[in-house]
Amino acid sequence: MFVAATIALLITMALTLWRALVGPTQFDRLLAVNSFGTKTVLLIAVYGFLTGRPDFLDIALVYALINFLGTIAVLKFFEQDDLGSGQYQEDDY
Amino acid sequence: MEATVANVLLTFLAVTAVGIIMLRDLLAAVILLGAYSLIAAGAFVVMDAVDVAFTEAAVGSGISTILFLGALSFTRHDQKPRPNHSWMALFLAVAAGGLLIYGTLDMPYYGSATSAAQTNPGLAVRFLEESGSEVGPPNIVTSVLASYRGYDTLGETMVVFAAGIAVLSILGLKRRRPGENAPLDAPGDKTTTLVVNSSADDGSIASPNEMKRYPRQRHRVLQVVTKLVIPFVLMFGLYVQFHGDYGPGGGFQAGVIFASGFILYGLIFGLQKTRAIMPPSALRILMCLGLLLYCGTGLLTMVLGGNLLDYNVLAHDALHGQHWGIFTVELGVGITVTGVMISLFYNFASKRSL
Repeated sequence: MFVAATIALLITMALTLWRALVGPTQFDRLLAVNSFGTKTVLLIAVYGFLTGRPDFLDIALVYALINFLGTIAVLKFFEQDDLGSGQYQEDDY
Repeated sequence: MEATVANVLLTFLAVTAVGIIMLRDLLAAVILLGAYSLIAAGAFVVMDAVDVAFTEAAVGSGISTILFLGALSFTRHDQKPRPNHSWMALFLAVAAGGLLIYGTLDMPYYGSATSAAQTNPGLAVRFLEESGSEVGPPNIVTSVLASYRGYDTLGETMVVFAAGIAVLSILGLKRRRPGENAPLDAPGDKTTTLVVNSSADDGSIASPNEMKRYPRQRHRVLQVVTKLVIPFVLMFGLYVQFHGDYGPGGGFQAGVIFASGFILYGLIFGLQKTRAIMPPSALRILMCLGLLLYCGTGLLTMVLGGNLLDYNVLAHDALHGQHWGIFTVELGVGITVTGVMISLFYNFASKRSL
């Protein structure tokens, strides 16, 4: 059961990785990498159960908590070209 | 099955690395580096290096992307096209790479029975069998990292500290800082100036509360979710810090996760507000405090008659001493890493907003 889940996850990872590599736009890549992150969370969690060592779940938790940080940073970079600005400044430049 | 998963992940890693090299667009390369880090963490998990995977997860999931983006905002987004290819450079790169690959031929294969770790298992067996009675923590990685080779980890903490100092000295202190209690019309302090202007336009005097509110509320979902998530991120950072004796984790990972909470706040609410919560002067104190805590523990053990970072002398019982020593040292690492990471974010993100 876990084996099937692992294989399925690896296949979806390959698909999203392909999208991230070929693009064509930055948003494709970003979305692909973001969903690749979700797949990694799932893979680490499933792998923990596959090998009977749920210690790994902590790592999956890290990704679940802060994986979107990079995505937000890239999106903010697209929007404002500056990571530190407050939202209230955005129309004032 | 495990070998298959490892092989697939390593293949992904190689494909992504080649893809990153081929890309001319640096922003796309940064995005792909995020994927690279994710795959690397997965591969580390599969190879049973759970603590390493934890570090990769904590650093790679946010901080490294953000630092790359910060660096990109100082420069151009495209790699500069080279008009002519230098054959000498190609030759040197191929020669150096070839030498490195030749060097790896001497290394044992993954899981090889003839590797040095297998043929001379003294140290590994000692760690596995005796660390429980000598040092204590169930997580042997923590025992090795904080106690057996605590001196090494002290060096690593110093490297992190030195990196923070270096970035501060290059990016942070170059421009004249307005300071934490800068006058309202300080040059470069754009937000305050803008708020004052807008309040002067409509003729009313903005109350301090109104000045703190943002006139145009966009990204409301992100703001609400951020406020919901940050307590959990900080809580998880503390869990990783103090649970490192029992499971994967420790000071380095905890510091990065803790800093990620602040960085998330900074991304959504702006540097100005984050600096109000965590002023850079406090960060500089934190950076030094953690390292001093580590060094102080080492000095204390020497004063009490042991070797540097020999925690046995810290308490009446050797195991208690080890426990206290590891606790303090990991706390020091966590504090320094938190300070340095937030400080790095401040310096890289403050292109225009200071």
